[in-house]
Amino acid sequence: MSDPGEALLRLDNINSFYGPVQVHFDLSLSVQAGQIVCLLGGNASGKSTTMKTILGLQRPRSGTVFFEGQPLTGLTTPQIIRRGIGSVPEARRLFGQMTVRENLLMGAYTRSDKPAIAQDEERVLTLFPRLRERLKQRAGTMSGGEQQMLAMARALMGRPKLICMDEPTMGLSPLFVDRVLELIQAINKEGVTIFMVEQNASLALGIAHYGYVLQTGHIALEGPADELLRDPRIRDAYLGGAAAA
Amino acid sequence: MNMPGLGAWFDYTVNGIVIGNIYAMLAVGLALIYGVANLVNFAHGSVYVVGAYVGWAAITYLGTPLPVTILCVVVVCGLVGVGIERLGLRPLHGSSRIAPLLATIGIALVLDQVVQLIFSPDPRAVPMQVPEWRIPIGGGTIGPLDLLIGGIGLASAAVLYGFLRFTKLGWAVRATAQDSDAAQQMGVDINKVNMAVFAIASALSGISGLLVGMYYNQINPAMSFEATLKGIVALIIGGLGNVPGAIGGSLILGLTESYGIALFGTSYRNLFAFVLLIAMLLWRPNGLFSGRSSLPPEPMTGTFIARSRPFRIPPWAVAGLIVAAALLPLLNNPYVLQIGVNSLLYGMLALSLTLVAGTVGQISLGHAALLAIGGYTSGLLAMDAGWPVAVTIPIAGIVTAGLGTLLVFPAFRLTGHYVSIATLGIGEIVSLVILNWSGLTHGAIGLGGIPPLEVFGYDLGSVEGTYWLCLVILVLLALLQLRLLSSHLGRSWRAIRDDSVAARSYGVSGNRYKALAFGFGGFGAGISGAITAHSYSYINHETFNATLSVLALTMVILGGLGNVMGAVLGATLLIALPEAFRGLAEYRILIYGLVLLLLIRFRPQGLMGTV
Amino acid sequence: MAAMLEVRGLVKRFGGVTAVNDASLDLREGELLSIIGPNGAGKTTLFNLISGLEPPDAGSVRFMDQDVTGTEPERLARLGMARTFQHGRVFANLSVLDNVLVGAHTRLRAVRPAIPLLGPLLELGLAAIRPAAVRAEEEALREDAKRILTLFGDRLLPRIDNPAFSLSYANRRRVEIARALALHPKLLLLDEPTAGMNQTETVEMQEVVHDLKRSGLTILLIEHKLEMVMRLSDRVIVMDNGSRIAEGLPQEVRSDPAVIEAYLGHRETGAAAPAREDVS
Repeated sequence: MSDPGEALLRLDNINSFYGPVQVHFDLSLSVQAGQIVCLLGGNASGKSTTMKTILGLQRPRSGTVFFEGQPLTGLTTPQIIRRGIGSVPEARRLFGQMTVRENLLMGAYTRSDKPAIAQDEERVLTLFPRLRERLKQRAGTMSGGEQQMLAMARALMGRPKLICMDEPTMGLSPLFVDRVLELIQAINKEGVTIFMVEQNASLALGIAHYGYVLQTGHIALEGPADELLRDPRIRDAYLGGAAAA
Repeated sequence: MNMPGLGAWFDYTVNGIVIGNIYAMLAVGLALIYGVANLVNFAHGSVYVVGAYVGWAAITYLGTPLPVTILCVVVVCGLVGVGIERLGLRPLHGSSRIAPLLATIGIALVLDQVVQLIFSPDPRAVPMQVPEWRIPIGGGTIGPLDLLIGGIGLASAAVLYGFLRFTKLGWAVRATAQDSDAAQQMGVDINKVNMAVFAIASALSGISGLLVGMYYNQINPAMSFEATLKGIVALIIGGLGNVPGAIGGSLILGLTESYGIALFGTSYRNLFAFVLLIAMLLWRPNGLFSGRSSLPPEPMTGTFIARSRPFRIPPWAVAGLIVAAALLPLLNNPYVLQIGVNSLLYGMLALSLTLVAGTVGQISLGHAALLAIGGYTSGLLAMDAGWPVAVTIPIAGIVTAGLGTLLVFPAFRLTGHYVSIATLGIGEIVSLVILNWSGLTHGAIGLGGIPPLEVFGYDLGSVEGTYWLCLVILVLLALLQLRLLSSHLGRSWRAIRDDSVAARSYGVSGNRYKALAFGFGGFGAGISGAITAHSYSYINHETFNATLSVLALTMVILGGLGNVMGAVLGATLLIALPEAFRGLAEYRILIYGLVLLLLIRFRPQGLMGTV
Repeated sequence: MAAMLEVRGLVKRFGGVTAVNDASLDLREGELLSIIGPNGAGKTTLFNLISGLEPPDAGSVRFMDQDVTGTEPERLARLGMARTFQHGRVFANLSVLDNVLVGAHTRLRAVRPAIPLLGPLLELGLAAIRPAAVRAEEEALREDAKRILTLFGDRLLPRIDNPAFSLSYANRRRVEIARALALHPKLLLLDEPTAGMNQTETVEMQEVVHDLKRSGLTILLIEHKLEMVMRLSDRVIVMDNGSRIAEGLPQEVRSDPAVIEAYLGHRETGAAAPAREDVS
């Protein structure tokens, strides 16, 4: 499929706009297979737009997204999903009126191999035992932490090679934050590559292999996670120390 | 009021449930479509008519038995539904939210006209395919057709439930309705879902049309509009996008109508439906079955203002056009002049609508009702009170301004689609009140022998006189409107349209300025209606119908929403051009529908640009 | 002297989420108070509660010695409260000048006689006839609007007749602030005035806000660029998860560990990373 040297996901010189506002300026980054890579940044730094660009929900004005060495240019979101990308959207975006089980099966929407889907359902429920007790409950009635777990489980049901997670810890209580991070690591250990966008830098870097820091559409900083964690510049990038006089 | 006996009550109840079932098959489709596409499909009733005629043709020409007839209807209407999605919805992805709604209005005009051209406007009788016995129950009776309709209604609901609950595509439909972005991220192809939903909804609508044809033993192309409206009323009662709610709303509507007829008579049926609609919009816009009483926040906003730089005509050119128009009677061609009069009268209506729909962004679908109010006011004052026409026409303008504003005032807090639905309903109510308030309006007979135009002894009844009078009034109204637009009112109106929340935060009260716009617009439209009444000498409650409202909207979109010169140009073009190709007279409404569709798709800013 | 704005115990819930939880603040005349906090902390919701766009579930707001809890925004505008919006809500199809003039709407006197019922009709008539007093008032407002636009140097003046949709994002934000100033507000609420601006533009905006403060205007500011907040604010309130987690002078707040934690995460940056396995 892909060259050994080729990254699983690569963004190449992306320039994107939101209305008249330029959000990304020549944004380039890559995600190696098997890793957890995080994209950090404060408010309005362009994190969520990066996610939308990868998933085909928003088209860049120039630049290319490569997945397994193939350009995704011109593909619709469902086509991109079928290539093997799963999504855990910002604010989870579950189907609140549908049951937990229906949400899980929606995750497997692109697949038609029923026995294998049933197998995966079992595997996912083993990973997220809380969901098993609630299979018939409406997703919208669960707590925020449980919803986040369902969103991750739903993404897994598509057997993706890569899962894109948009702020998976946002709005969760500290207890659940830790649980979610553990689960992300557990998913990664099963061989799924994770690309996550996070505001919460120390948490994300705590589990990631590699990190990028996005500042008003530019990559301000990048490096292996443990080096970034110790880098004092990351604090400036967030608190605006470097910006303004 | 006369109280029917107990047996009759039973019959009215059965009738209400049967009608409710028929409405349910319409409303469920509308709810599904609204769910996945956030669109109120105004072409829904047209598909219902297609269903009725396909059924009629199958039985009449092919002699099909009932199951085969239904199959034919399902297939043809399903395909029509797919076509509506491809034409009216998919190409408009990314344009303003009201655009697909307007597109379905255009499609409705086209479909209705095609049916009329193929099958003629005359009513047809649908051969009965069920036996004619009736079972007496508790003083009333119930027949096989009642049972059949009830059975098909139940069966459809069951099939739909199974589809939504147990099939993969059904899940995709529900997921898309709840969160289409998230559904796409699961790999759902939204286009495919929309297509499936339109096909299913249209098939149900078609079956509904067939059943109605059998129930009343009569079908005609004109029944589409009422079907759309009834479906929408049931949909609003149940809550937009709520499928089980739509069934409940339909039964409530059917029973309300049936009991209303029992108590007050047939001509009150629709009045009940539309009063129910307005009451729902005002007090429970989310439907009877929702806990919330406030409007849902976002998806209903958005006007149809394309960003453009308006084309400016220099003042000397405008003056030249006015002079040229004033000299038109010298051609001494009464036929051309009559077209001129019509263009000018429509021009006044378009001026009024372009202010309301363009400048203030309230897409009104009931504007013809203002003509009716003006026409009846002036006509009645001249006929029954014997006042001189020169006095009754301005009074008609003032009365229309006041009454029109008062009627729409409660709807000012609505936005987007709700405004369109509410104004449509209010327009129908005006027409029905005219029909039923015989003591004042002469009821169904209409106003005959309205005195001709004359001003202080000068007879303007001739076509030249009418023309010059209309020209003077139109020019004055247009200049006045331009003057208001250049004052603080113009920017306040447009601020409300562009962002009503920000406008309110700066003290620009939505109610006050919408009222001023409807008031000024109502004045012009009332005068137009009054002159029309005097020059026709006969009007009734159907003279100013909903098609006219849609035509006026097409005119102002053609000219460029909010654009004063554009409104006059749009009116002139749409009135004069079909006359220029006289061979096309039969296709007139069809052309309007196509023009509307093409504009929405390719030139939303119109010819002259939006202002 | 009593505070110009007194907010007491505001609560707002959306569904099960408490967006603002027991928020209180006082703002004295001439003061600049900043509210900072990460995304989703409830800052904008708090603004919406104060400016009448959403009714609070509990608590009260007093402005200019009047109870304005849950009042309509039109009244707050008349009392002298002006606000800008997080994502720059200009009137897209109006020219720059008209946008600013809408801001001056509450200052229209001659053309809007304060007579109940008849007032609107007179307003329509006066707008059409335009007697000298109306013309003079409009002219004065136009001059004032142009004067306000000069605050932004030559950023907006050359584009005064252009429709707002044709402006750059930064210019739209400037138009919004000009529109707010045209109200001649007693209290100005600024919601992230520099969002989406580059460094030069941010510095420029900082100067504008600084000048407004020096001219004596009372300002409530939501801002993310802490450098700007530190430089301009008299006091700072820090919000996280709907609640106030710190309040004080800019320098105190900056070194408050709770603040750094709110921004960077629940563990201190630089601490040892939790154990993890390397995949290579």
